[in-house]
Amino acid sequence: MNIAQQIINGLVLGSGYACVALGWTILLGVARLVNFAHGQLYMLGAFVTWYAMVKAGLPYPVAILAAIIALAILGALLQSAMMRLVMTQNLTSLMIVTLGFGYVLQGGSALLFGGNPQTLPVTLARANVDLGSLWFTWQDVLVFVATLLLYGAVWLFTQKTRFGSVIRAVAEDPKLAELFGINARIVYLLVFVFECSAVALGAALVAPRSPILTSMGFNEVIMTFVVVVLGGIGSILGALIAGLGLGLFIAFFGAFVAQAYTTAAAFAVLLILLVIRPAGLATK
Amino acid sequence: MTAIEQDRISSPPSLRAVIFVVLAAVGFFLPRLLGGTSVVYSTLTTIAIFAVMCYGIDIVLSYLGEVSLGHTLFWAIGGYTAANLSVKYGLNGWSTALATIALCIVAAGFLGAVTLRTREFVFSLVTYAAAVVGYEIAFNWDAIGGSDGIVGIAALDLPFGFATFSGASQEDLWPVALALLLLTLLFIARFRRSKLGTAALMVQMNPALAASLGIDPRRIRLAVFVLSAPITGLAGWLYAYQRAYVGPDMFETYFLVLMLTAVVLIGRRILVGPLIGTAILIAQQNLLSLGGDWNKIVLGAVLALVLIFWPDGLAGLFRRAGKKQAEPQQAEPQ
Amino acid sequence: MSKTMKLAAALWLALAAPAMAQDIKVGTIFPLSGGAGPDGQTVTNAVKLVVDQINAKGGLLGRKLTVVSKDDESTPAVGVSRANEMVAEKADVVIEGWNSPVTLAMQPILARGGVLDITAVSKADLILAGQTNPYAVRINSSNGFDAEVIAKYVVNSLKAKTVAFLTQNDVYGNGFQTAVEEEFKKLNFSGKIVSTEKFAFKDTDFRVQLTNLKTANPDAIIVTNSSNSSGLPAMVEQYRQADIKSTFVGAVGIMLSTVFKVAGDANNGIISADIYFWDLPPFNGIAESNNFAAAYKKAYGVDPDKSAALGAGAVQVWASAVEATKSLDRKTVAEAIRGKTIKGTVFGDATFLPNGQLRPRYVVFKVVDGKNAKLEALPQN
Repeated sequence: MNIAQQIINGLVLGSGYACVALGWTILLGVARLVNFAHGQLYMLGAFVTWYAMVKAGLPYPVAILAAIIALAILGALLQSAMMRLVMTQNLTSLMIVTLGFGYVLQGGSALLFGGNPQTLPVTLARANVDLGSLWFTWQDVLVFVATLLLYGAVWLFTQKTRFGSVIRAVAEDPKLAELFGINARIVYLLVFVFECSAVALGAALVAPRSPILTSMGFNEVIMTFVVVVLGGIGSILGALIAGLGLGLFIAFFGAFVAQAYTTAAAFAVLLILLVIRPAGLATK
Repeated sequence: MTAIEQDRISSPPSLRAVIFVVLAAVGFFLPRLLGGTSVVYSTLTTIAIFAVMCYGIDIVLSYLGEVSLGHTLFWAIGGYTAANLSVKYGLNGWSTALATIALCIVAAGFLGAVTLRTREFVFSLVTYAAAVVGYEIAFNWDAIGGSDGIVGIAALDLPFGFATFSGASQEDLWPVALALLLLTLLFIARFRRSKLGTAALMVQMNPALAASLGIDPRRIRLAVFVLSAPITGLAGWLYAYQRAYVGPDMFETYFLVLMLTAVVLIGRRILVGPLIGTAILIAQQNLLSLGGDWNKIVLGAVLALVLIFWPDGLAGLFRRAGKKQAEPQQAEPQ
Repeated sequence: MSKTMKLAAALWLALAAPAMAQDIKVGTIFPLSGGAGPDGQTVTNAVKLVVDQINAKGGLLGRKLTVVSKDDESTPAVGVSRANEMVAEKADVVIEGWNSPVTLAMQPILARGGVLDITAVSKADLILAGQTNPYAVRINSSNGFDAEVIAKYVVNSLKAKTVAFLTQNDVYGNGFQTAVEEEFKKLNFSGKIVSTEKFAFKDTDFRVQLTNLKTANPDAIIVTNSSNSSGLPAMVEQYRQADIKSTFVGAVGIMLSTVFKVAGDANNGIISADIYFWDLPPFNGIAESNNFAAAYKKAYGVDPDKSAALGAGAVQVWASAVEATKSLDRKTVAEAIRGKTIKGTVFGDATFLPNGQLRPRYVVFKVVDGKNAKLEALPQN
């Protein structure tokens, strides 16, 4: 019984990690841009969803859309500000700029939404599914299904459509792509907007699990980091497998060893992997 | 203007030495000149310590051109080494300082070796991961302090053979902080002129030229990283004695963002840039605090905007303004 | 003298008089922004209210009190700066501390500056250890006392045969669990501790630990979680979702108003204890407490909770000691508190141990209506 429940737990946790990590891995793979504002964007996505539902009275699906649109617009603005640095591939400055943006988002959200914890009134999050003695909520099911669909859609898009191959070309070699007439600027803009939209979707789906605070963000996305590096930077299938795998690892490590040390364990695994197999990350 | 160009127009060594001694003397008496209260001493000591902390990341960022997001690890190693060795084993200041330098070199060496063959942004990610692991260890390992940290760190004692210097009060610690700051400035100045420093700069500015001269960028990165670690480590070492308390809070992003902003604000590769940047940021936090949320907005905005619009920092702004003033006069026909 | 001259003289005297008798500075350092911002604000508001009450009665030692409140942002490095500012501004007392690491960092600064330091909320035992501050005073209860009341209830009233722990993995959580286990030994507890599950303060998903606890199925689970704004309400909800039948016994003081607001009826059935409830005995029979509760409700529109009481109590204890010794000197005032009893506080008679710890009075309760935070007081033995 315990094992079966922990497998469910692992898949639930893992689909959450994978969902939140998708945008980040694509951004990193295509633009080599490490977005350190990811956690604060997650927090903002959750709060926009909350605001739409509680203050504007919108139903949950509409609120999710509102969050995606709001963060997409924000992403477009941020990326336009950073465009010169992105085009010159000034990666170090970009990293620090996103760190600064994250701080601004954190302070700004605290002023806008206040310091009190809020709950997302999503009924699915409290609706239990009872499969024998196994327990999970319909929200968990939603996250799992949505994650698989999202990953499937993105994979199909990048592999099968023309625009997908354009993105892959820019990721491979931006200068060469420009020679072929591809406007790298637009690609970078769209990829960043996608990252913000994806994290907004992730937040709208995953955040209802617990109360949200404007001070959150760092913890929620720290696993994103591990998922992306373990799965291979830019690899869509890799991120999905790494996310689910990490979730299962956390569940079983927590169940049989000690839950309190899971973050340390995950990062230790990451460092060991980097020592043994740095080649996986030494490409290009 | 690169460090190499700056060298050509700098003053002769003897004049530089005189200026240095004068500045050191002024620095020594500065707290007295500003009122001599304990708050003045503690603020200036804090600025000096944080400035040294920034210089560690400055070497990597300004000269090597890469971002280390794990320097809080060395800052914490310094603090925890000083706290543990002095409280548990009663070791004096020299021993704890030496231990700090050794541990920082080992940690930086390990991280640098691990990232020897990876790309720059992976280097940044690895340093970030190292800081997270360091935090988890410090938080969970009760033997070195645990989640509440170590209290009651005794005053800094530096025996000189014939006498012992004891840093019991803020007034006593100031000369040590100033000495550490001056040593760091001397070290950076030497580094800029050294083979390693110019090689690092070349790797950042013109990797092709560096490669053709047989310089391996990865080995340079390792060397510079290992060199930078003890600097931040020693700042953490002194911080432990000043605050008399260390805890896992030394890993907080507060210090990382402070370090990065101070380096970027004035402009890279300016010797006193990080010092002035630190002074401005600490002054804002203490004298012009707008509340926790607005402070975050200001700090984040400064960091982002400076890099986006004025990558040469405030000094770059002044230089451009100065040039604009000079040009119209030259353009006028006489 | 002409009328105008007399008027001018009176005006001049009226304006100059306050400047001659300097205000007494009561400093507060609590988190006013970030995750613990609302909590810190509550304590600060309570301090301000009591200071206003004292001023209305003529002040202290014939002088008015002013409150200087600063934000430590839950960051020790910032707290240290604020403490330095307090020393520079010559505060006569500093009431501080929501997060233990911030208190521990500020203690040496305030001690070196000779400023009396009263810790209102932070729970770490190190605060009263004496090395850094030989004149420490703390209003909130300590893990040692807390463990006694919880252990007694679990062993004597609940009569649990099997017990499990769900503990926050830090000095506070682990310390409380150790203290409870020691109390079990003292009470000759015949039952078994079947499981211990731990989590990090920042965690909000506990399904892995709850799965293990559900399998172990003890009579009672002793929960120590101080993340009242996010982790604890989430844990309560997930506990109910997992349909765990064991009695949820919360550590002392964790059931703050945010937990009720967020988790609502999921809280029903939780047993815990705290050191102040404005509407439960013995506090609803204490004149000073009723007085404070009414004034607090009038000023801020909500009933005061334990956090507010801690802020109020801190000021009242200090003011009484100052009035009694006619002094603002740190050592004199501290020695009038430590090891002594102060009357007329929101806690009734406040008795302090020699190490500065206020001896707490507990109310053990069961949650009957979580949505409205309605509690039923339980008998203690």
